[in-house]
Amino acid sequence: MTNSRGRVDRLSRLVAAMGAVVLSLGVAGCGNSEKQVTAGLIIKQETNPFFVTMRQVAQKTASDQNVKLLTAAGKSDVDNQSQVTALEDMTKRGAKGILITPADSTAIVPAIEKARQAGVTVIALDTPTNPQSAVDALFATDNAKAGELIGRYAKARAADKRITPKIAMLDLAPGITSGQLRHDGFLQGFGIAQGDPAIVGSVNTEGDQAKAEAGMAQLLKAHPDVNVVYSINEPAAFGARAALKAAGKGNDDVILVSVDGGCKAIKEGIRSGEIDATAQQYPENMARKGVEALAIAERGGSKPTGYLDTGVELIAGTSVFGVESKDEAFGVRNCWGK
Amino acid sequence: MASTSMAEAEPQRKARLVYPKLGIPFVLLVLCFAAWGSAANLTDVLVSVFRSIFSMSNFQSALVQFAYYGAYFSLAIPAALINRRFGYKTGVLTGLGLAAVGGLLFIPASKALVFGFFLLALFVLAAGLSILETSANPFVIAMGPEGSATQRLNLAQSFNPVGANIGVLLGAVLILPHITSEAAKTIMSPDELRTSQESDLSLVLGPYVGIASVLLLIWLLILFRKMATPAEQSQEEEGVNSGALGRLWRNRHYRYGVAAQFFNVAAQVCTWTFTIQYAQDVVGIPREHSGWYLQASLILFLVARFVMTYLLGIFRATKLLFLMGALGVALCIIAMLAENRLGLYAVVAISLSLSLMFPTIYGVALQGMGQDTKFGAAGLVMAILGGALLPLVHGKVMDQVGAALAYAVPGVCLALVTCYALFDLLTNREGGELVSDGAHH
Repeated sequence: MTNSRGRVDRLSRLVAAMGAVVLSLGVAGCGNSEKQVTAGLIIKQETNPFFVTMRQVAQKTASDQNVKLLTAAGKSDVDNQSQVTALEDMTKRGAKGILITPADSTAIVPAIEKARQAGVTVIALDTPTNPQSAVDALFATDNAKAGELIGRYAKARAADKRITPKIAMLDLAPGITSGQLRHDGFLQGFGIAQGDPAIVGSVNTEGDQAKAEAGMAQLLKAHPDVNVVYSINEPAAFGARAALKAAGKGNDDVILVSVDGGCKAIKEGIRSGEIDATAQQYPENMARKGVEALAIAERGGSKPTGYLDTGVELIAGTSVFGVESKDEAFGVRNCWGK
Repeated sequence: MASTSMAEAEPQRKARLVYPKLGIPFVLLVLCFAAWGSAANLTDVLVSVFRSIFSMSNFQSALVQFAYYGAYFSLAIPAALINRRFGYKTGVLTGLGLAAVGGLLFIPASKALVFGFFLLALFVLAAGLSILETSANPFVIAMGPEGSATQRLNLAQSFNPVGANIGVLLGAVLILPHITSEAAKTIMSPDELRTSQESDLSLVLGPYVGIASVLLLIWLLILFRKMATPAEQSQEEEGVNSGALGRLWRNRHYRYGVAAQFFNVAAQVCTWTFTIQYAQDVVGIPREHSGWYLQASLILFLVARFVMTYLLGIFRATKLLFLMGALGVALCIIAMLAENRLGLYAVVAISLSLSLMFPTIYGVALQGMGQDTKFGAAGLVMAILGGALLPLVHGKVMDQVGAALAYAVPGVCLALVTCYALFDLLTNREGGELVSDGAHH
């Protein structure tokens, strides 16, 4: 009897000890115990994978940091009114910090100033306000660096191929800061200045695939010897490649570089060789750092100020000597969208 | 590595499962079967985790498998010698103790932040598990009457795939979702990078310290328990027949069988080691979800083993082996060319073709070996070396041509296994029952 009871006791101790191990592993995975604070995220729209990723990461970070996250989105990339309404609504609902990707950099400023006067900390994500000082801080990609990376790559690739560069510039639109910074960065990376004879032509694409295809076709008519193409973003790059194909030019005939790093471009562009290289930006860093900064500020820590570079990496299908780049696999692992 | 016994149930008249007073020791040994399953398949997850934490190449991260399976290979003979000289209890205790020390070595390794230290910890862990496995199998057989030996071994071995699935689950739930993303690292300062590395390595630490704690507990419980078994003496007296090596070498079915087993284990370890990388690098599955595809592979493997056991009763073993080998090659080709979810599903489905290979090759290679069977079996088990070497090749190829095309490596391995099946089908040989005892993996 004693023997059997002793055996049962030992077995119970064994089960309890194993339970303790499992529990300790479980506890390790539990979340933040600091007091809950409220913050808001206002994105431009809900269908673009860039902003979808931003919202998903913000929600996950908020959950990890015990932040109650209010979210809102405009109906399109230029829907300022919805963002103004969302700012007012979130302020009324007790958000002490708001992250916003301005749809209209200038028109949103009065609403932001009103929120800040009410004690709300505002961080602009991805797109700066005009003036940039209208917000407490800007967390965004260094667009000049993004342009510079692809400029350096295009130059080294052209040297590898022993070609005399004839460059087509597929820009965004006049007066938009991010487009201008990428354009200037590309020229700097390529080691040329605006007006250099290597640039055979440029068109404004508004970042739209169809407009880029039409623009590229138009440039090719005037300059059929184009062998390097800069594109403002990946839809524009796909548009350019379609026009180049229509003109009988294969992937190896023209070096095509771009900016963004969306999953479609990495899997269908970089992998197939349609896009030679792209500068990948990270909306997840904007969202995560943004939520973390607001949580710290709302809990009495330091307020976010100035500019935070949220990172950019060169992703290339074929690496070139002297220019550091990441491979397609890295691009796929860290891309946004599907 | 997941396993299911091929041993067939023998008719018996309700023979006692274990001798009196050996109930709890038997339960403890069963837990050991689950423990080494957990550790082996948690290692599969670890390869992708270390690649991320140490920002290393696929070749370098595959050294994890080299350390693990290399230890298994190296310790097979010493383990047998320990059992022969000191008995199974000592073998089990040595194995448990060494494995627990290996698990606990993860603590200083995670403080030192040195990859080589982790490889040492894994080597010690796997060395212990190798001794444990070698001792536990015959120990389980010796723990009860001969009439229920197969039933006892089947029951114990059925906990190995359960443990294997728990191992992957630990990795998928406790490690993968919480690893710092590469995107986040792009903007970190050196100090922040070091902090994130420490934090990520502490995630790796948890499951291994958990496994080590369980092993230590079992070690203590076995240490203080009298566990001599009546059958142990007779098991110790088995020896090697003179001239066995020469007879085995002259037997082409055996010789090629060892090679086929080498490539089968290689294909299995390669496929499972790089499933997570395929999901992440080729398809873009988020890190926190990528472990589930490896989990699906193991569940498919487990279910398919039962189906294959049934089919082996209907069809000739090497016909099924040929078909499954060819299917495996086709699936590898799909994985290489599809580069999307279809390719990922093909990678998962390779486990279907792998499910019958180890026991089938084992049985076919040893068929009609008579007195040389036990010695020959050791050679087939040592073919586990394929699991140490080929993942390095797979990793190197992956670094050159990407995760999808690198599936050519398990593809070639499976093609060679298929050739072995074809060789057996086209060759006349004297019959005899397929050997199944001990054909677990």
